Amino acid sequence: MTIPPTPIRVVIVDDHAIFRSGLKADLAQDIVVLAEAATVEQAIVAVTAEQPDVVLLDVHLPGGRGQGGREVIAGCAALLASTKFLALSVSDSAEDVVSVIRAGARGYVTKSISGAEISDAVRRVAGGDAVFSPRLAGFVLDAFGTAEVAVEDELDKLSARELEVMRLIARGYSYKEVAKALFISIKTVESHVSAVLRKLQLSSRHELTRWAADRRLL
Amino acid sequence: MSAKMYRTQERMVAGVCGGLAEHLGVKVGLVRAIMLGASFFFGAGLVFYGWLWLLVPMAGDEARERGSLLDEDGNPRLTLFRPAPGAREESNSNPTRQRLSLGFREVAIGGGLVIAAVVLFGQQSGWNLQLGTLIPLLIIVLGAVLAWMQLDDTRRIGLLSAAKMNTPMALLRLGGGIALVIAGVIVIVAGSGSWTLVWSSVVASLAVLAGVALVLAPWVLKFWREFQSERAGRIRETERAEIAAHLHDSVLQTLALIQKSASSPADVTRLARAQERELREWIYQDAAHNAGALVERVKAVCAEAEDVYGQAVEVVAVGDAELTDRGSALVQAVREAVFNGVRHGGTTVSVYVEAGAQGVDVFIKDRGPGFDVETVPADRLGVRESVVGRMQRNGGAAEIISSADGTEVRLHLPSETPATEEAK
Repeated sequence: MTIPPTPIRVVIVDDHAIFRSGLKADLAQDIVVLAEAATVEQAIVAVTAEQPDVVLLDVHLPGGRGQGGREVIAGCAALLASTKFLALSVSDSAEDVVSVIRAGARGYVTKSISGAEISDAVRRVAGGDAVFSPRLAGFVLDAFGTAEVAVEDELDKLSARELEVMRLIARGYSYKEVAKALFISIKTVESHVSAVLRKLQLSSRHELTRWAADRRLL
Repeated sequence: MSAKMYRTQERMVAGVCGGLAEHLGVKVGLVRAIMLGASFFFGAGLVFYGWLWLLVPMAGDEARERGSLLDEDGNPRLTLFRPAPGAREESNSNPTRQRLSLGFREVAIGGGLVIAAVVLFGQQSGWNLQLGTLIPLLIIVLGAVLAWMQLDDTRRIGLLSAAKMNTPMALLRLGGGIALVIAGVIVIVAGSGSWTLVWSSVVASLAVLAGVALVLAPWVLKFWREFQSERAGRIRETERAEIAAHLHDSVLQTLALIQKSASSPADVTRLARAQERELREWIYQDAAHNAGALVERVKAVCAEAEDVYGQAVEVVAVGDAELTDRGSALVQAVREAVFNGVRHGGTTVSVYVEAGAQGVDVFIKDRGPGFDVETVPADRLGVRESVVGRMQRNGGAAEIISSADGTEVRLHLPSETPATEEAK
C-alpha cells in the first residue's frame, strides 16, 4: 500500500464519544481527523463544511428521520464524487449493511477491526476502491447466489472471477492474498471488488429490490 | 383433558360440544346427546350451548391474536434474504376464506336446530301454538343467530383487524340478521294492528334507534380507541420486560464478571467476546437460517473454541444444509481444524461455510506461522485422523495448505446422492 503524499482528511461520525476518541487514537499518522459528529444533522453539517476525503460513518445514528447512516449519505449526495463514505457498524444484519452500501457507501467494516486494518481501509476507500469485509462478501454471495445462473441483466449476477474474489474475501483473505491465489494483480482484485460494489448498489436483483422497496429506498 | 376450554375446529355448529368433550375427557357424541336431551327441558341445553358459544374462545384464537399483535406492533424485521413476508399473510387469510365458506352450513344447521328446539319446547310446555306468534319468533331467533355468528367470526379473526369485517359476505350476514330481528319484533308487537300503525311504529323505532346510535357512537369510538391504545401499551410493556429480563440475565451478569476479573485481560476478552456473540445471536437471529442445522452447529463449535482459547473466530455462512450423520462428521472435522487454528494461529480465525446443491464447503483460515503438513509426526492424530481421515471416511475431502502467512484447511462434503457415495 503506497502512502499518499498528502494526509487523508477524515470526519468521524459516531454517536459514542468513547468510540470516536478510540478510533481517532487508532488511526495511522497519515490520516487526519478534521471533525467529529454524533447525530445525523451534525454529520451532514460537518461533512458539508469540511468536505473530507473519507467519512467514517456509523450505520446507527440518532437524529434525522431515524435512518442513521443512510440519511447522512443522502444528505451529502452532492459530495459523493469527492467524499467517500466508509460504513462502520457492530451490526450483523444484512439489511443494515447492504442499506448503507446501496445508499452509496464505498465499504463496510465492523467496529472490532484493528487500528492498522481500519487505516488500511480508509486509504483504500480514499483511493477510490471498495472495502469488503468477509461478512459483506458473505452477504453478497448470499444475495447473488453462489452458482452461476442465467439472468438477463448483467448487473444481476457476478462473473466467475467476481465470484472467486468474493469467495476468497469471505474466507478471510486479504486483497494481497486474493491476488496471489488467483495469479492476478492487486489492482485487478480491486477493480473486481469495485465492480461487485457497483452491482450491489445498482442491481435490481429481487432480493435486493424487494428489500429496498420495503425500506422505501427506490 | 386440557386446562382451559376451547371450542374445537371440527364442529357441527360452533364446536361447543367438541370443546366440552375434550375439556371433560368424554366422547363428543355423549356430550351432544346430553346437550340435545337437555334442550327438551325448557330449552336448558340450548341456553347453555349459546352461553358457551359466546364465552368460550375458539381453539387457536389466542395464538392467532398473539400473532396478529406481533404484526401490529412488533414490526417484523425484514431481512434481505428471507422468504417473502407474504408467507405470513397467507397463513392469516386462508382460515378466513375457509370460515366464510363454512358460514352457510353453520347458518343452516344452527337455524334448523334452533327452530326444531323451539317447536319442541313449545309443544312440551303445552302452548296452543299459533303460527302468528311462532313464525316471528323463529325469524327473531334466526336473525339473532345470523348476527351472533358474525360476532363470533369477527372475534375469531381478531378484534384488531376490524377491516376484515368489511367483506361483503360478513356485512350481508350482519345486516340480514339485524333486519330479521327487527322484522320479527315488529310483527310480534304490531301483530294485530293495521299496516299504517306498523309503518308509523317502524319509522318511530328507527328514529329512536338512530338517535341512540348517534349518542352512543362517540362513546363507542372512544372506548374502542382506549382499548386499542391500552392493548398496544401492554404489548410494548411485555416486550420491554422481555428485553429487560434478557439483558439482566446476560449483559449485567457478564459486566459484573468482567469487573471482578478486571486484572486478567484474557478473561475480560473471553467474557466480552462470549457476551457479544450471545447478544448478537439474540438480536440478529435470522429465521431464514433455521432451515438447516449445519451452520448453527458450525457456529456452536466456533463459539466453543472462542470460549476455550479467548481467541476470536469469525464465521461467515452462505446457505445452510440439514445436519445429517455425514454433516455431523463434517462439523467434528471443522471443530478439530478450528481448535488447531486457534491454538497455533494466535490471531483471529476465519471460517467460511458455503452450503449449496453441490455439497458443503468449509474453509478454516488462520494467520499463524504455519506448519509443514508432511512433517507432522504420524502419532499426532489431530490433523491426519480427525480432519483428513474423518472427511475421507464420510465421502468428503480435506486439504491443508500451510505457509508462513498462515494455514487454511479446506473441507468439502459432496451432497448426499447415491452416485457420489459409490464413487468415493
